[in-house]
Amino acid sequence: MAIANVKVEGLQKSFWDESRGEVRAVDGIDFDCQPGEVFGLLGANGAGKTTTLRMLATILKPTGGSASLNGYDVLADPEAVRRSLGFYSASTALYPRLTGRETLEFFARINGYPANQVNQRVEELIDRFGIREYAGARVGKLSSGMRQKISIARTIVHDPPILIFDEPTVGLDVMAALEMQNVIHELRDEGKVIIFSTHIMSEAEKLCDRIGIIHQGRILALGTLEEHRQATGKHYLEDVFVHEVMQAEDQSAKAMASPGEPRTSL
Amino acid sequence: MSPKRSDNTSVLGTLFRCEIKRLMRDARVLLISVFAPLVIVPGYILVMQWIGNSEEQRLEDTVYEYALSGDEAEWGLEIVSAALALEANDPDTSQAVVRFERQQVTNTDSLLQAGEIHLVIEALSPEAYERSRAEEIAADTLDPEEDEVAPEIEEGSDGGTAPELQLPIIRLRFRGNSDFSRRAHDRLDARIREVRSELRDSVYLAGGFPVGREEFASVETENTASAEKEGGALLGMALTPFLLLLMLSGGSIMAVDAITGEKERGTLETLLTSAASRSEIVAAKQMGIIAVGVVVVVINVLNLLAYLVLGLLELPENLAVALSLLDLVLILILFLPLTVLISSTLLLISGYAKSYKEYQIYFLPLFLVFLVPSLAGILPGLDLRSAIALVPIAGVGVAVREIMVGEYDWLFLAIAFASTAGASWWASRLTQRTLLTERLISSSDLDEADLLGGPALFPRHVLRWFVGMWVVFFLTAIWVGGELTLQGQIILNLGVIFLGGSLLMVRRYGLDPRKVFALRPVHPAVLLAVLVGIPAAYLTGIGLSTLVDAYLFPVPQSVLEAFGEVLLDDEIPLWQLVFFICVMPGILEELAFRGVLLHGLRKTWSPVIVCLVTGGIFGLFHVDLFRLIPTAYLGVIFAAVVLLTGSIFPVMLWHFGNNAIALVPQRMGWVTEETVFPEWVFAIAFVALLIVFWIIWKVSTPYPDLKKTRPREFS
Repeated sequence: MAIANVKVEGLQKSFWDESRGEVRAVDGIDFDCQPGEVFGLLGANGAGKTTTLRMLATILKPTGGSASLNGYDVLADPEAVRRSLGFYSASTALYPRLTGRETLEFFARINGYPANQVNQRVEELIDRFGIREYAGARVGKLSSGMRQKISIARTIVHDPPILIFDEPTVGLDVMAALEMQNVIHELRDEGKVIIFSTHIMSEAEKLCDRIGIIHQGRILALGTLEEHRQATGKHYLEDVFVHEVMQAEDQSAKAMASPGEPRTSL
Repeated sequence: MSPKRSDNTSVLGTLFRCEIKRLMRDARVLLISVFAPLVIVPGYILVMQWIGNSEEQRLEDTVYEYALSGDEAEWGLEIVSAALALEANDPDTSQAVVRFERQQVTNTDSLLQAGEIHLVIEALSPEAYERSRAEEIAADTLDPEEDEVAPEIEEGSDGGTAPELQLPIIRLRFRGNSDFSRRAHDRLDARIREVRSELRDSVYLAGGFPVGREEFASVETENTASAEKEGGALLGMALTPFLLLLMLSGGSIMAVDAITGEKERGTLETLLTSAASRSEIVAAKQMGIIAVGVVVVVINVLNLLAYLVLGLLELPENLAVALSLLDLVLILILFLPLTVLISSTLLLISGYAKSYKEYQIYFLPLFLVFLVPSLAGILPGLDLRSAIALVPIAGVGVAVREIMVGEYDWLFLAIAFASTAGASWWASRLTQRTLLTERLISSSDLDEADLLGGPALFPRHVLRWFVGMWVVFFLTAIWVGGELTLQGQIILNLGVIFLGGSLLMVRRYGLDPRKVFALRPVHPAVLLAVLVGIPAAYLTGIGLSTLVDAYLFPVPQSVLEAFGEVLLDDEIPLWQLVFFICVMPGILEELAFRGVLLHGLRKTWSPVIVCLVTGGIFGLFHVDLFRLIPTAYLGVIFAAVVLLTGSIFPVMLWHFGNNAIALVPQRMGWVTEETVFPEWVFAIAFVALLIVFWIIWKVSTPYPDLKKTRPREFS
C-alpha cells in the first residue's frame, strides 16, 4: 500500500458573511492522494475548491477536521507543509519588477532550497521551460504565456513532492492550456502528488487519475473516471457531474421539506 | 524530497533584498517620492526666503508718503518732524531707516484708500476730534485700526481721555491690508510715542521732578541662556516633528507597496504559500520600511546641510548649537523605538488596507496621530518630569528638547524611551497578527476569532478597551478633575469609567459575569492569610516606596502633603472617606483590573507576565507618576492572589484593608507623614508577606484556563 502524501479528513471551513451569516464554504470533506497521481477536484465556481486548496496550502485555517501533507499537519507544522508544497493558481502572481531568473532564485531561497545549488536549479528550469531567451527580462514586460512558464517554474523551483494547481488554465489560450497539461503529466510521471482543481470537464477527463466532484463544500462522489461512469451510468464526465449535482440538489430539497429528517452524508 | 530549510537569517536577508530591489526599480516612485523632495523642499524654502527678502527690500526701499490734515496740522507737523528726526538719526543699525515724504493733498481719505499715499496723520483739536467721532459713529464707519495718540496723557492713567482734558489728538490712519501702509504706520507710531515720552519727561523735569529722566527711563535686559542653549531649545522643539515627518513620508514609500501593493498585484498569495514564515515576511518588510525611511531622513538632512554649506539657505542669525557625542547617541537611542513604531504602524495600515486608495485614507489620520504628540516639545512649560514622559512619541519629543539644551533627567529619559518602546512593541505585535488574519487573502473581512466572536474576540480587544478607558480617565482628570470634590472624582473614575467600561465589555462580548469577575468561593485559610497580608504588604510597600524615594526619584514633599490633606480633610466625615477611599476601590477597581483585565489577558501571556502587566496598567491608572510604583506593586500582588485563588473576593478584602490601614490611622492622628518606621519592621513585614503567599499557594485553587504552553501558531 502506497504512503498517502496528502490526507484530508472531515475538513471544514466556515466564514462569516454580513448578509448570509455563517457560510460553510467547505463542509467536512475527505480524500487522500498518492505519489504519481493527479487528483482532481471538479466543481462549479463557489463549490469550495479554492478554499479547500488554500487550507492545504496553510493560507486559510480550517475550522474543523484535519489535513496533512507529506506527513505534516497543516495546523501543527504549516511551514513544513509549505516547504513540501508548490502552489499555483491564477491569483499567484509574480513580481513585475524582478526578472524571470531573479524570481526563480528568490523563491528557491525563501523555500529553503540549498543556497549552493540554487543557481544550478534555476538554470535547469530555465532550460526545461525554454525561457532562457527572456530570463533576464523583467516579468512585467513579458507576455502572459511567458509569465505562465515562469510561474510554473516558480512553483516547482524548490522541488516539492506535492503540487497544487488551482484552476491553472483559467484565462489561458488553447496552446498555453495544452502546455500546462503537458507539464502536469510530466510532473506526475516524476512521482509528484498533484492536486488539481478545475471546472472544465474535458481537462479533468484528460488529466486526472481520480476525480472528486465537489458541490456546496461537500465531495459528492470520488473515484476514477471509470468508477464514476459505472456508478451513474453516464459516459461523459459532464453528464456524470450534472447527475451527481442534481441528485444532491434533490436530496437537499427533500431535507428542507422535512426538517425533522436527519441529514445523511454522501 | 523536500530540501531542508535554510536558516532564518538567510531567508530574512533574501526577503529584505527583494523588497529593496523592487523599490529601487520603481523609477517613478523614486523620482517622485525620494528625489523630487530633495529639490522641492529646499527649493520651497529658498523661494520663500527669496520672496521674504525681496519683500523686505521693497519695504526698506520705499519712501512712505503721508499726508497731514486736521485743524491742529501745524502742531502735528512739529510732532511728526520730531518723530522723523528720531527715525533718521536712529543709532540702532539692526533695522533699516524708513524714509517718509509728506504729500500736500486735501482729499486724504480717498488717496489713502486708493493706495496713493501710505498714511494719513490727523492732528485734531478736542472739538474737531469730538465732531469727527460723532460723524463716524453716525456713519457707523468706525475703523478699529485707527490709532489715537494724546501726547500729554499717560496710557491707562486715571486722567481721563484727551478730549476731557481739552488736549489735541494725533490720529494715524492707515490701510491694514497693505504691508507698506502698515509698515509706515508701525514705524511712525513708534517714533511718535518716543517723542511723546520725551516731551512728557521734559515736562516732569521742568516741573522740578527730582529724578533725572535717564534714571527712571532706563531699562536693561539680559539673557542668561547661552546662544547654544537657545539654539538647542529651538532646534530641539523642531527636530522630533521634522524627523518624524520625513520618516513617515519616507517609510510610506515602502509601506504602501509592502502589503497593500502585494494584495493588489496578487503576489501576496504567492509569497504566503512559500516556506517563509509570517514573522520573517513581516520582519523583512519592516526592515525595508525602516531602511527606506532612515535613508530618506539621512539624504534629506544631508541635502539641507549641503544647501546651508553652499550658502543657498540661511539659518536664523545667532543660531548656535553645541551637541556632544553623548547627546547624539542619546537622541539616536530615543529615535530608535520611534522608528520601529512608525514602521510597524505603516505596515499595519498597509495590511488593513485593501487597496492603495484605502491606504491613503488611513495614512492621513495616522499622520496626524503621530504629528500631534511629536509637537509636545513645542508646548511651553512642559517638562519631561511629568506624565508626558509616559505618552509615546510626546515623551521622546520633550526628551530630545531637554537633551539639546543640556538637561539630562535620566530616569524620565528612560521612561520616555520605555513608553515609546512599549508602544512600538505593541504595534509590532499587531502588525504580526495582521499577517495571520485571513482577510489578507479571503474575501471575508473576519478571521476565526471574529467568526467565533464574543468571548473569543475579547482577549484580543481587552487592551484596546483599557487604553480607551485610560484616555477618558486622563482627559477627565485634566478637564473636570479640579472642579470635582473628592467624592465626585471617585464616583466618576470608579463608578462611571471603571465599572461602566467593565459592564460595557461584559455586554459587548457576551461574557459570563461570574467568570469574568472571578466570583468564585475561596478556601477560608485564604481569607485569614489576607488579614495578615494586609499590614504585611502595606508595610512592605512603604519600605519599597522608601527605596524608590532614596534611589530612583524622590517624591516631592508637596505630593505627600497634598495626599495627606485629603486624608485629614475634616470636612469629609470618616465614614465617607472609608466608603469612597476603601470600599469603592476595593470593589470597583478589583472588578475592572483583577476582574475584566486579568480575565482578558489570562491566555495571552504566562501568569507571571499577566501579573506584571495588570499591575503596571493598574499603576498607570493612578496617573500621578509618584504613585505608579507603589500602586503597580499592589496590583502585582493582587493579580497574583487572584491567579492563585481563582477568586476576586480575597483581593477585594485586601484592597479594602490596604486603603483602610493607610487612611484610618492617619486620620485618627495615630501616625503622621513624618512617622518613621525602623527598618526591621519592613523586614518582618516582607517575611510575613512571603508566608502569606506560601499559605495561599498551599491551598490554591488556580484561576482556570491560564496559558500554560505556547499555543500552536499558524505561522
